[in-house]
Amino acid sequence: MSVGAATEAPTAVHIGRLERARRRPLALALTALAALGLAIVAGVALGSVSVPFGDTIAVLAQRLGWPVATTWPETTQVIVLDLRLPRVLTAAVVGAGLAVAGTAFQGLLRNPLADPYVLGAASGAALGAAIAVIIPVSVAWLGFGLVHALAFSGALIAVAIVWRLARTTSLSSLTALLLTGYAVGSLLAAGLSIAMYVSGAQLRQIVFYLLGGFSGASWPQLAAAAPLVVLGSILLLLRARSLNALLLGEETAANLGIDVRRERAIILALASLVTAAAVAVSGLIGFVGLIVPHVVRLIVGPDARLVLPLSALVGAAFLTLADLVARIPGELPVGVVTAIIGAPFFLVILRRARAGYEV
Amino acid sequence: MAPPATASPAAEFPVTLIDDEGTSVTIRAEPQRIASLSPANTETVFALGGGDRLVGGTDFDDYPAEAAALPDLATYQGVIMEQLVAADPDLVLALGDGGQTPPDVTRIRELGIPVLVLYPEDVPEVLNDIELIGQAIGEGEAAAAMTDDMQARIDAISAATAAVSQPRTFYELGAEPEIYGPADESFVADMVTLAGGEPITTGSTTAFSLPLERLVTEDPEVIVLGDANYGTKVEDVAARPGWEVMTAVKEGAIRPVDDIIVTRPGPRLADGLAALALAIHPDIVLPSPAP
Amino acid sequence: MIAPTIDHADRATAPGVDPTPGASTDGYELEGLGLTFGGRTILSEVSLHIGARERVAILGPNGAGKSSLLRVLTGHAPDHRGSVTLDGRAIASYGRDALARRLAVVPGEVSLPFAARVEEVVALGRVPHEDPLRGLRAADRRAIGEAIEQAGISDLVGRDARRLSLGERQLVVLAMALAQEPRTLILDEPTVHLDLRHQVEVMTLLVGLNERQGVGILAVLHDLTLAAHFFPRLILLDRGRVVADGHPDDVLTTERIRAVYGVDPAIIGR
Repeated sequence: MSVGAATEAPTAVHIGRLERARRRPLALALTALAALGLAIVAGVALGSVSVPFGDTIAVLAQRLGWPVATTWPETTQVIVLDLRLPRVLTAAVVGAGLAVAGTAFQGLLRNPLADPYVLGAASGAALGAAIAVIIPVSVAWLGFGLVHALAFSGALIAVAIVWRLARTTSLSSLTALLLTGYAVGSLLAAGLSIAMYVSGAQLRQIVFYLLGGFSGASWPQLAAAAPLVVLGSILLLLRARSLNALLLGEETAANLGIDVRRERAIILALASLVTAAAVAVSGLIGFVGLIVPHVVRLIVGPDARLVLPLSALVGAAFLTLADLVARIPGELPVGVVTAIIGAPFFLVILRRARAGYEV
Repeated sequence: MAPPATASPAAEFPVTLIDDEGTSVTIRAEPQRIASLSPANTETVFALGGGDRLVGGTDFDDYPAEAAALPDLATYQGVIMEQLVAADPDLVLALGDGGQTPPDVTRIRELGIPVLVLYPEDVPEVLNDIELIGQAIGEGEAAAAMTDDMQARIDAISAATAAVSQPRTFYELGAEPEIYGPADESFVADMVTLAGGEPITTGSTTAFSLPLERLVTEDPEVIVLGDANYGTKVEDVAARPGWEVMTAVKEGAIRPVDDIIVTRPGPRLADGLAALALAIHPDIVLPSPAP
Repeated sequence: MIAPTIDHADRATAPGVDPTPGASTDGYELEGLGLTFGGRTILSEVSLHIGARERVAILGPNGAGKSSLLRVLTGHAPDHRGSVTLDGRAIASYGRDALARRLAVVPGEVSLPFAARVEEVVALGRVPHEDPLRGLRAADRRAIGEAIEQAGISDLVGRDARRLSLGERQLVVLAMALAQEPRTLILDEPTVHLDLRHQVEVMTLLVGLNERQGVGILAVLHDLTLAAHFFPRLILLDRGRVVADGHPDDVLTTERIRAVYGVDPAIIGR
């Protein structure tokens, strides 16, 4: 190893090696985009009622403004445009949101086993939804029920509580966050159990929410969730630099010029917002936020500037395809499909993590 | 809830009805493509003569026989939205659960299809709902006649059982893993009362199970097996540990019943009440139904 | 690899300070620095001048306040008493980014939650310089390449940083700090886990950076022999105070070693 040797063009050599050693984000992006496109087309073309593919394309074309003569029954139009299309797009948006949030949480907590729900968002949303189901108030506005509103608020409130409580402990901040998240999550889960117990005949609705799925997807819900997910994701992308700096820990990040407390709060807030928007419309779908960031990192490395947008793409494609797979045999909960794919993957990550987690 | 129907002339459309959740539903013209999302509603539509206008039912529809042949638009998991849309209904009769409007119903309404949500919590409400359905599908007269009939039979059964003592009656909904029985003020409790029994309930309006100690303390004089359809036999009950102290077991007053007609809030409810009354008072003589 | 020669010539070499006009305000100026935490006095009455291009080792037994002193010097102890200026400005007045471009701290122990290639870790050193969205530009890549070259880890490029040996990892984080292109490099016990060879490598690297490139070096060390060999100026702390400051021969006298460390100076050959 040469030390401090100031020779002519070693720098050029190293830059060259750096280029070659760089991974392939573009290839991944194109593949994910293609998969997403395929998933959307398939999702709109397939369903429990068989619609001729030509009709599907024609309906979409006409909707996009092309002059196509109407040759299909109105029910086909409703099925394609009001049932399938919003469903497929919602799955894409939720998949992207969960993957981005998962990336952010894993980077924020410096933990490869973290997912968007680890700080109580899931328990908060579930309890919120359960309360909405059992209270004798009927509210519906623009296709939103009380369930969506309370699930959204529940997720955000839970994370806020965890954040506040974690700051009062004397443990190191990450440990405090994780443990508090676990404790608060357990408490909320207990609340959920009570709510389910007293729910009587409405238990089904609560369980339906918990399993998660896109069967209730509609344009108004998409119009509300999508901007939050998209905006939140873009704002998170602007914090990619901070996420990268946090890779080596809080001290190092501070020495690299990052206001660690502020960035933590911002990233946590944005990631929670995206998560809350996702769970409000789709219930609790697991494994997307956990697995997708890892897959992307395997291919393009840990740079958040790449992992965030690519996770969004891959997450969107993954969940849309998972929903399709769940839908076709007869409405399996989509969480089951993501679990079947995700759990073995999770075990693989666990094995690799064991080999080289602590440096 | 819809007001009790007075003798109405031939059905007039458009009509605006209030369903059991208090939602105002407007039906523009007499429905020709009716979708039913519960077996009870399916039975009612058939009984009112609208069976040929049904375009879909549930996978659980079993009466009358033609009902089973209807396309399944809903299962226990919920409504299959695409099938429902493909059936192109102009009226949907749904089942509520006493709480928030089910999201499926909201979804269907978003698509512009009128949905009536029915949730009868006691016997009078069952009759009201039959009349509501009648008004919705343009069979108001038939519905009024049917409910008058049913009411008369129910009154007669109540009168007949009022003459004898009302035994403490436990209507068993299930026994594994816990003992399931009617909740306070529930539909089944109401039926038991009308059938001339004193219902033993779970003690709360939201719980459906009760511990053995409570049942033993209440000491039923009659046990009606509402789970007879699902394999529970009379001999099994007597063999259960701890049950032998109950009066009903000692005297062998354990009787099976077809729970479908007892609990399904549809046109056969009077038959169900009669069956229940006979299970509670085996020696009673009931007026036979009008031909 | 060039075998480092350890001889008195190295130690006697002046820290390579070019007398530049105005350079007297460059570097650290500590006046009456005090630091308490939880009622305990960590540092008291610390007054030092450390030139921007000096190579200084900070020594002292456990609990002497060495790491706390570093925290003050890196701007992480805003609650200090007394005055601390860097290049003539109060250290608290520096923006985080600006400070990160002026100083680089070489972390002691790091853990990586995800697999990262060596060059990706080194690239983190560009965070204070880089564009938030556009990422690495040509200048950044050049700095990264140079840092890798300087730290002598060119043959480690492309490998997973988590799977390197402790010595190699230390060089990687050193390269990361170098990629920040700092004027001063601050190290907190950089050789704790290293074997002798790697210790000497790191020390020789630091000497080279300081003498050939004018990078200021501030290192907390626990190894007196290493410090004496490679650093022309030692600052000895004991219980929060500076008890000695100067050439190793003047600082590491037998009485002082016995007084501060409580050990027989013969152990370290003095």
